[in-house]
Amino acid sequence: MKILGISAHYHDAAAALIVDGLPVAAVQEERLSRRKNDAAFPMNAIEWCLEKGGLEPEQLDAVVFYERPMLKFDRILTCALRAFPHSWRSFPHAMKNTLAEKLWVRGIISSQLGVSRQKILFTEHHRSHAAASFLTAPVREAAILTADGVGEWASLTVGRGTRGPDGTAINLLREIRFPHSLGMLYSTFTAYLGFPVNEGEYKVMGLASYGRPTFADAVRKLVPRTQDGAFRLDLDYFDFHTTAKRSFSKKFVDIFGPPRDPFDPIDLETPDGRRFADCAASVQLVLEDILVDAARSLQRETGLTDLCLGGGVALNGVANHRLLQESGFERIFVPPAPGDAGCALGAALYADRIHFGNPDRDFPDHPFWGPAVEEGALAKLAREDRLPAQGFDDPELIERVALDLAVGRIVGWMDGALELGPRALGHRSILAAPHSAEMRDRLNRDIKHREEFRPFAPVVPIEDAERYFELPPGGKRLARFMSGVFPVRPEWRERLAAITHVDGTARVQTVDAGMAPRLYALLKAYGRVSGIPILLNTSFNLAGEPIVNRCVEGYLTFRRSGIDVLVAGQTRVTKRGMEIAA
Amino acid sequence: MFQLLHRWIWQDPGRCARKLFTFAETEADGGRDLVRAAESTQDPLLRRLFTVHAVEESRHAELFRNRGLALLRGLRDRSTTTLQLNWMSPGERGLDDLRVHAESDASLLAFLHLSEKTAAGHFATYVEALADDPSTSSVFKEVLKDETFHMNYTLAQLTRVEPKRHGLFLWKARASRLWKAYLRLMSAIAGVMGTVILTLQYFILLPPFAFLAKRAARREPPGWIAVSQEKTRSLKSQY
Repeated sequence: MKILGISAHYHDAAAALIVDGLPVAAVQEERLSRRKNDAAFPMNAIEWCLEKGGLEPEQLDAVVFYERPMLKFDRILTCALRAFPHSWRSFPHAMKNTLAEKLWVRGIISSQLGVSRQKILFTEHHRSHAAASFLTAPVREAAILTADGVGEWASLTVGRGTRGPDGTAINLLREIRFPHSLGMLYSTFTAYLGFPVNEGEYKVMGLASYGRPTFADAVRKLVPRTQDGAFRLDLDYFDFHTTAKRSFSKKFVDIFGPPRDPFDPIDLETPDGRRFADCAASVQLVLEDILVDAARSLQRETGLTDLCLGGGVALNGVANHRLLQESGFERIFVPPAPGDAGCALGAALYADRIHFGNPDRDFPDHPFWGPAVEEGALAKLAREDRLPAQGFDDPELIERVALDLAVGRIVGWMDGALELGPRALGHRSILAAPHSAEMRDRLNRDIKHREEFRPFAPVVPIEDAERYFELPPGGKRLARFMSGVFPVRPEWRERLAAITHVDGTARVQTVDAGMAPRLYALLKAYGRVSGIPILLNTSFNLAGEPIVNRCVEGYLTFRRSGIDVLVAGQTRVTKRGMEIAA
Repeated sequence: MFQLLHRWIWQDPGRCARKLFTFAETEADGGRDLVRAAESTQDPLLRRLFTVHAVEESRHAELFRNRGLALLRGLRDRSTTTLQLNWMSPGERGLDDLRVHAESDASLLAFLHLSEKTAAGHFATYVEALADDPSTSSVFKEVLKDETFHMNYTLAQLTRVEPKRHGLFLWKARASRLWKAYLRLMSAIAGVMGTVILTLQYFILLPPFAFLAKRAARREPPGWIAVSQEKTRSLKSQY
């Protein structure tokens, strides 16, 4: 069967194509439209997926949208009614927003793709998350926990999944409903701290390491626990349910002080800067506590050893580490795209395995489902600009790049198919030596132009990881898609200064030769040159831009920034004036 | 008269800072649009020029942002000025929501030329209006210098790319800008009308339903809610 999954209209629009139960293509719209966090109907992504699969739309057996639009509308309308008359400002905006496009998904898909309306299906938002997490993990049976801002009504669900020759099942047992939401709690603090919601949550997590959870009790007042072990939000402190303009109320400000002006840089030397860091540390701690409690009770209830995590909250690597240590689960699986983009894949898999009852298939354990690097494209671009470009066989190229890195050059690395999900996992990465704080500062200053409190991540061969990082049992798996934050071993922190965060941790990625063979070979080669087989790995993009996809995008990023060397496929390009051989 | 108006708009440091931040965002967005243009073109010279242009737009964004921050730091009360009057003193409009990938090099160049020309005109006015604030004025002077270069190179390249029809492309771009301005105005009017109608409906039709919804909400138990297996049956339903 040929099934297309789509997510759109909120953030992270994406499309995914599965044929006979296996993925053929999956890509986020932003990577093709070049608009960061593009939420528009993902026509570019759909066209690319169909082209990759060699299909016309009419050959599809089903098109699955990742949530139920009418159920979502029901929630929006009900919440407006519940907040009456305080919702009078947000009501027209919400209605125009929904009635203009978001409600008519069946019609949009049918008209844009020319497929019959009978072929269009809808999964629930959190079932898409659950499927994206469970059906892509190498497990037969697992507990499932999904958490995000909100889907239709649910904001957090727990359940269990089984798959095997007897069929596949995902049973969600219970849920917490909007407006009570861990994602909204975290997003409210994201807005309060002056970061953009839905993309600044990473910054809150990074900032948390600089603070102390002195406001933890105050945050707990915002999220009182219920008798059944769940939680609710005390809505007196929030405004997101009544207005689209502000997510926290005056009462919230009375507790935590004035919010940060988004234009004001955070200065951790000032009392205000420290207050913001303490707020971040406090909400991070409370979020972790609630997640650990929910996961622990799920583990006791199911008796299972594996947990599949989904939803945007699963991107919180610090919380994931605590879950692994304290929840009782032995292994935790977080897919490379646990957010809404991954729901395109989850929705398609859910329809295939559960709606159509097709037999279970093992899912390839990697995130590389996007467009591949075009061989020769980089050499052509470099020739046109008279830049030094050379083609190499793989072993020679790897050795040269390892030498580049060892002498302190920053390398743009494009290899094979693009990753699905927000993280560069070795196919569209900026790589650098991880040893000095100067390298971190150079990357921040000359390339990423981002806040200095945000850490950079390391990538390490899986068999070497435990030598440098304190990984608990199951940690290597959690680190496969950079989903956990772990302590750097104290004896290595000084020599890994560029990737060691202020609290001594790092968001580690472990790589094996099967998942990314060229990156693995590069790490080994770098290890031979420098003595430490670890590289700093950050996403290949500049501030405000999506991760690069095609060679031309990588090339122009290289030209506009302080990247010294660009590698795409077999081609290595350096800037003029830089010797070609290291 | 206009000069006096602009002097009044720019004399408030709080408003001035906010406007500079808005300009910074527009310049940064414009820079990203130009990167997309550079990625799309097959012409190596244009790719280089668009890239340089994009880098300069990013630099402008930084100049505006830094000056805005400096002004903001000097303020005791930052919350007083919210009215920015951007419609009266606009910045650069960038590519005006143009679908960069779908446009030809010539139409992009024509559009850019007009956009840079308009922005240069505005910035020249602000330089004069900010005569009493030499630091902010010097930022605009620096940006203006680049805008003049952008204005000239886009016209020169348009003439190179379309030696015979460059005038036609300029007229088309002018018409397109006018059409977009009309659409923006109409959308704004439609938006206001929609808001008024929906607000009236909100207060006239919704109160009884609001009462019922609030009553139902009060009955909802807090915490976990068991998931009904019934509703998982069909994927055909949007509910």
